Amino acid sequence: MLAAAATAGLITQLGLGGSGKVQIGNGSVSALAQAARAADSLPRSVLEYPFAERNFSSPNGGGSRLLQTQGSLRLYGVPGKEGMLCLVEVDTAAETAGGACADRSVLRTGSIYMADIREDGSRLVVGLVGDGHTYAEADGRRTPVENNAFVLDGVEGRDFTVGSAAASQHIDIGG
Amino acid sequence: MRLRFRRRWVVAAAAIAALSLTLASAAGAESYIYWWQRNMTPSDRGTDSLTARNHTYNELYFGANAGWKSEVWEVTPAGYRHFDKWCAGNCFNAHPGYYYTYAYCANRDGSTHFVYECKDQW
Repeated sequence: MLAAAATAGLITQLGLGGSGKVQIGNGSVSALAQAARAADSLPRSVLEYPFAERNFSSPNGGGSRLLQTQGSLRLYGVPGKEGMLCLVEVDTAAETAGGACADRSVLRTGSIYMADIREDGSRLVVGLVGDGHTYAEADGRRTPVENNAFVLDGVEGRDFTVGSAAASQHIDIGG
Repeated sequence: MRLRFRRRWVVAAAAIAALSLTLASAAGAESYIYWWQRNMTPSDRGTDSLTARNHTYNELYFGANAGWKSEVWEVTPAGYRHFDKWCAGNCFNAHPGYYYTYAYCANRDGSTHFVYECKDQW
């Protein structure tokens, strides 16, 4: 009886992290540990924004990695200050850039993401996830996680899901 | 005599430095911090709505402990919303200056959080 109760408690902690939220992985991002290539460097224009100085651990964006390229859209992972991790998106055709930085612990229970609302009301959702996440899904469409990142385009709903083979996490975008 | 000359040199150097800063500011992007070191409730909206500007940048900064949902967006005087970005944590959106807009930022978590600043550029 006692052993059963202890086992149930352990399963709850592993599954919910004791915080009521499902946890996947430990917040590590193996894509940031890969050998650096020339393409991993952030564009100078991004480094010149006030955001870079306040959030990136290095003024020159040291440690950044190009995670994905889809058409003219490029996603970078960047080490942030004081335990933060950052996701930066650069669209060379649209001449836009954006970024989100949050504490690494966010990756255990979800994603560091950005959602851009387009003129037609749909959303372009891009996200950084920790090791262990294998997919992102919205509107019933699933896309694989590659290099700890995902792109969901044309999202009509206001939420999405990230997950692994064993667990999933629901994220409300808002708006 | 030597002391008087040195003082004049210091005053001249200070004047040149001040002029240089002014010119540098005028040559580059103009910036404005429109929300500064305050708690922001979920219903608060920071805004730079004094003058519509040809914005190219909008940013919200919670601080290094960021982890909450945030939003930055812009609205034209006619009420059309553009460059609307939702983020997990600190957030910025840089874009071409297509529209004359007012800039907005908001904490979109369910509870109040300290926001270090919201800043726009044009």
